Amino acid sequence: MDASISPESDFHELSFVNKTNKVPGSLAIWFAILAEMSEFMIMFVVYFLAKVHNPELFYEGPTKLNTLAGTTNTLIMLTSSFFVVRAVIAIRDNKPKQSANWLWGAVACGVIYLIIKVFEYQWNTAQGLATETNIFYGVYYYVTFNHFLHVGWGSAGLIWVIYRINTHIYTADEHEGLINMAVYWHMIDLAWITIFLLLYVIR
Amino acid sequence: MKVMTHTKIIDYLWLILITLTLFSAYMAERAEPGFVSIAIMAAVLAIKGRIIVDHFMELKDAHPLLRTLMRTYFYVIPAMMILVYLFPEQIAKWTAL
Repeated sequence: MDASISPESDFHELSFVNKTNKVPGSLAIWFAILAEMSEFMIMFVVYFLAKVHNPELFYEGPTKLNTLAGTTNTLIMLTSSFFVVRAVIAIRDNKPKQSANWLWGAVACGVIYLIIKVFEYQWNTAQGLATETNIFYGVYYYVTFNHFLHVGWGSAGLIWVIYRINTHIYTADEHEGLINMAVYWHMIDLAWITIFLLLYVIR
Repeated sequence: MKVMTHTKIIDYLWLILITLTLFSAYMAERAEPGFVSIAIMAAVLAIKGRIIVDHFMELKDAHPLLRTLMRTYFYVIPAMMILVYLFPEQIAKWTAL
């Protein structure tokens, strides 16, 4: 077996990276990822500007949010990303069944994330927190709902990849679509770890 | 020296990410807001972002432009967290319509 696809070999010999162009997955997915990261960046700039113009609201805002829900969802997102990495390692190691199982784990995380988010929004409503409460919650709802949609279609994308593994379209030698989905999912995770710190933690 | 396997490294990195998240939750609930806590949280974000970009996305050994672009987000956002904490009035003045 080729050493470069063995999970037990030296880490530095391993990589998603296509050796000819040194890009993990396809170039197209990276245009999408950089566009999405820029979109989230614009939202973060809006957050920072709203914060400097409304310091009191942004000081009080995070204290009324459900930290437990935010933290749990962060743990879930990070774990889903971990599962996706393990799925990539498994397919490289020619273990498609194992790879699909890791991806089902990631899908389950995505679904649990969405359920917790729905409960969190209901909890907010019960506390009287809504988009029009003040600008902090306006930004919170705009950013988190946008992210919610990404987790939704990202989970659907993971299911599509599982289908392609199960129908032997992705193999140990050819699984660029899985890599594309993996790096896209990690982008969703990157956006969330930033949102968590900005909206739930810092004041 | 024994080289750690890829899966082992990924397992440890996941544990580090989880620990940093629990630490952030503790800071959200307990820590007094102030420069030190903002600086620590900025560092936490920089570390978490870098782990995911370098090791989960595997950009560590990828094309330098792609690697730099993705890493830059996790220099810029933590820097913005600190600047907005230190100079809120100045930034508000510059961005007033």
